[in-house]
Amino acid sequence: MGKTITITWVFLLVLTITTALISEIKDTYISVLILILAALKFTAVSFQFMELKKAHLFWKILILSYLLLFIALIIIIF
Amino acid sequence: MNQEAVDHKNIFFPPGGILLWIIIFLELMTFGVALVIMVYESKAEPVQFHDSRLLLNVTYGMINTIFLLTSGFFMALSVKEMNFYGKQRLKKYLPATILFGSLFLLLKSVEYYEKIEAGLGMGHSTFFNYYWMLTLFHVIHVIVGLIILISVYVGIKKESTTIEDIEASAAFWHMCDLIWLLLFPMLYLLF
Repeated sequence: MGKTITITWVFLLVLTITTALISEIKDTYISVLILILAALKFTAVSFQFMELKKAHLFWKILILSYLLLFIALIIIIF
Repeated sequence: MNQEAVDHKNIFFPPGGILLWIIIFLELMTFGVALVIMVYESKAEPVQFHDSRLLLNVTYGMINTIFLLTSGFFMALSVKEMNFYGKQRLKKYLPATILFGSLFLLLKSVEYYEKIEAGLGMGHSTFFNYYWMLTLFHVIHVIVGLIILISVYVGIKKESTTIEDIEASAAFWHMCDLIWLLLFPMLYLLF
C-alpha cells in the first residue's frame, strides 16, 4: 500500500536537502537549478500526492502551464 | 472494499473536486504574482535583498519543508487507505498528518520569535515586508488546513462526512505544501 507515495516522499526529501546544500555554492546558474528543483518538487506533490495523474488532461496542462510561466517569469526578471 | 465512485478522468471531477481546484489556482496565482513582483522589486535593491536573505535561517526553512512534505505524505497515504478500505481507515495516518503540520507551525513560531527579537520585523526592509506578508498569509492557510483536518478526524463517524469532503480537505492541505514549495526557495535561497 502506497509504494509510489513512499518513493515520491523520499524523492522530495532528497531534493529538499539537495536544494539547501547547493544554495551554498556561489555560481550564476545555481539560482536556475534551485528553481528547477522547486519545479520538480511542485510537480511531484501535485501529480502524486494530489493525484492529478488520475485527472483529466486539462488539469494536468493547467498546473504545468502555471509552473512553467512562473519559473520563466522569475528567470527572465532575475 | 470501498472503491472510488467518482471518475476523476472527467474534466468536471478532478481529485478533490472542481471548486477546490478553482480555489487552488486562485491561491497559486495570488502567491505567484506576489513572488514575481518581489523579484521585480529586488532589482532596485539587490544588495539589500541579498543581505536580508542571509539573515534567514535556511536550516529552519529546510526542516519546515520536510515537516510539510512528511505531513503531505501521510495525507496522501490516508486518502489511499480510505479509497481502499473506507473512511474509518483515516484514523491510521491522519493524526501523523496533523502532528507534522503542527510541528511546522511550532518551528515557524520559533523562527518568528527570533526574527522579532532581532528587530527584523515588518518595516525593517522591503525584503522583510515580503517575508512577513507571504509567510504569514501561508501560515493562515496552514492553520485553516489543520482546523479542517481536525474537524474531519472528529467527524469521521458522521454520515454527513463524505469521501468527496475528505478528498477536498486533502487537496486543500496539499495546496499548503505547493505554496510553501514556491516560498521556501524564493525567500530563503534565491537572492
